[in-house]
Amino acid sequence: MGIERVESSDAELVRRVRAGDIGAYGALVSRYRDRLGRYAVHMIGDHEDAEEALQDSFVRAYRSLARCYDPARFGAWLYGILVNRCRTTGARAARRHRMFVRDADALNGAAHGDQADRVEWTDAIERALARLAPEYREAFLLKHVEDLEYEAIAELTGAGVSALKMRVKRAREQLQLYLREAEHV
Amino acid sequence: MFERADDVVERVIQHLRRPVAIDPGLDARVLREIAQAPPTNRRGWPLWSALAAAAVLGAILIARPWSRDETNRSDLLQFVFVAPRAASVSLVGDFNDWDPARSPMQTAQGVWATAVRLAPGRYRYAFLVNGVDWRADPGAPTARDDEFGTASSVVTVGGRGS
Amino acid sequence: MILAALLMVVQVAAQDPRLERLDPGTRSAVSAVVDSARGDGLPVEPLIQRALEGATKGAPGARIVAAVRRLTVDLGAARLALGTNASAAELEAGVAALRAGATPEILAHLRDLRRPPLTMALSVLADLVASGVPADSAAAAVLALAPHARDADLVEFRRAVERDIALGAPPGAATSIRVNAGAENVFSGTGTNPGTVPRPRRP
Repeated sequence: MGIERVESSDAELVRRVRAGDIGAYGALVSRYRDRLGRYAVHMIGDHEDAEEALQDSFVRAYRSLARCYDPARFGAWLYGILVNRCRTTGARAARRHRMFVRDADALNGAAHGDQADRVEWTDAIERALARLAPEYREAFLLKHVEDLEYEAIAELTGAGVSALKMRVKRAREQLQLYLREAEHV
Repeated sequence: MFERADDVVERVIQHLRRPVAIDPGLDARVLREIAQAPPTNRRGWPLWSALAAAAVLGAILIARPWSRDETNRSDLLQFVFVAPRAASVSLVGDFNDWDPARSPMQTAQGVWATAVRLAPGRYRYAFLVNGVDWRADPGAPTARDDEFGTASSVVTVGGRGS
Repeated sequence: MILAALLMVVQVAAQDPRLERLDPGTRSAVSAVVDSARGDGLPVEPLIQRALEGATKGAPGARIVAAVRRLTVDLGAARLALGTNASAAELEAGVAALRAGATPEILAHLRDLRRPPLTMALSVLADLVASGVPADSAAAAVLALAPHARDADLVEFRRAVERDIALGAPPGAATSIRVNAGAENVFSGTGTNPGTVPRPRRP
């Protein structure tokens, strides 16, 4: 029992949700949970806040599904909701202490050797990401981690393509600088 | 050892592209939240669709009347169980004398639901499927002290600030 | 003789009618336990519910009686730990916590740390153990959060720990990480013995 999983297209699933088949929405959630979750975790820097933002985004998407005018691009439309939601959480989270507990490795605790190095590298990256200005981090993640085209990112963020390219460039430069600093600490 | 700047960034990108573990229970929480507050602009989506959204299991708080007196306070909880092929499902527990006739559940699209008003306290319960099959609630804590050989679950209704 | 018969009728009439679902022998034995518990000032509704559970599940009479007796004893232990002012709901939750492995000292400590009702705190402790968290870790976590967390916070804590466990974290580690991230009174590591925690100063 539980959530129905059907290998249908986004458009088909959206059509079924609109017809009252909520199980189809569960299938959409399952389909996008991990990928969007990855963006949320790296953007916000806190696993719990990220899951809350993700959950909130899925609920908002359901409630405004009538405004998804191109169901075949449900994923991209959902991304836009999540990007906006992460902006709100990011502002709040910046004012709180955050735990960089993010994956099973960290939860299991790094013992020594390779695991310790990996946790240290993970922490260094997350700290460096956290130091980026939010709009730089957002552009960098959407371009290089989520592999979106600049035109798609422009549609999601409302920024122009030139501005986005500049933000990604700055993000790359600053990440490189912060990581070099971390190596010398 | 000197590493080219681009190589550092590429390493970062490869690291960030690794899958991140997201709690699979999030799916259920999304559907539960949808079920708690059906959208107002549903345009003809039937009420049962909202309940069917709770293909997640676990009691859902749906109403809490305001009251100064915590001892008289009670919460209305909705219990949901998915069993598409069941002919009947009853909710039985400490709140209804373990009587299958007291809280028969209604079904739509294989999702069975009923609502029970509970005063603050800890309650053991289970679902009785087709009158013979005892099922615990996968979405709720397990009742460990089961002395009768069948699984049960627990729901706790809090007092202050819950 | 007539008087004895009348007294017996009165006694039967005083039995909870719900117990008629039990066979006569079981009903009589359970009623005796219930009456004794009532005389000791213990709540009897949990005992009746336990008997009804057994009846509905078709359990043998002897097992039902044993379960009701055991619950009576445990309610008494919970009341010793939580005090005579503890509500029936708190006592039931206290039983769950004791059966999960919490010591009476932990229950008493919780009573000192947290304003009543303690029902949710005790329940969360028991539920954490049911999820696989070692009893001492669960107790340490709940005691750490007890002074300031609302009931809703405790529920969220339990859900968060269950999520972490579902993601593969060792239950003890998941609990201590969550406590260290959120609690004002922090227990470090999973090996802390809750019994050594200093009692808070009384005002």
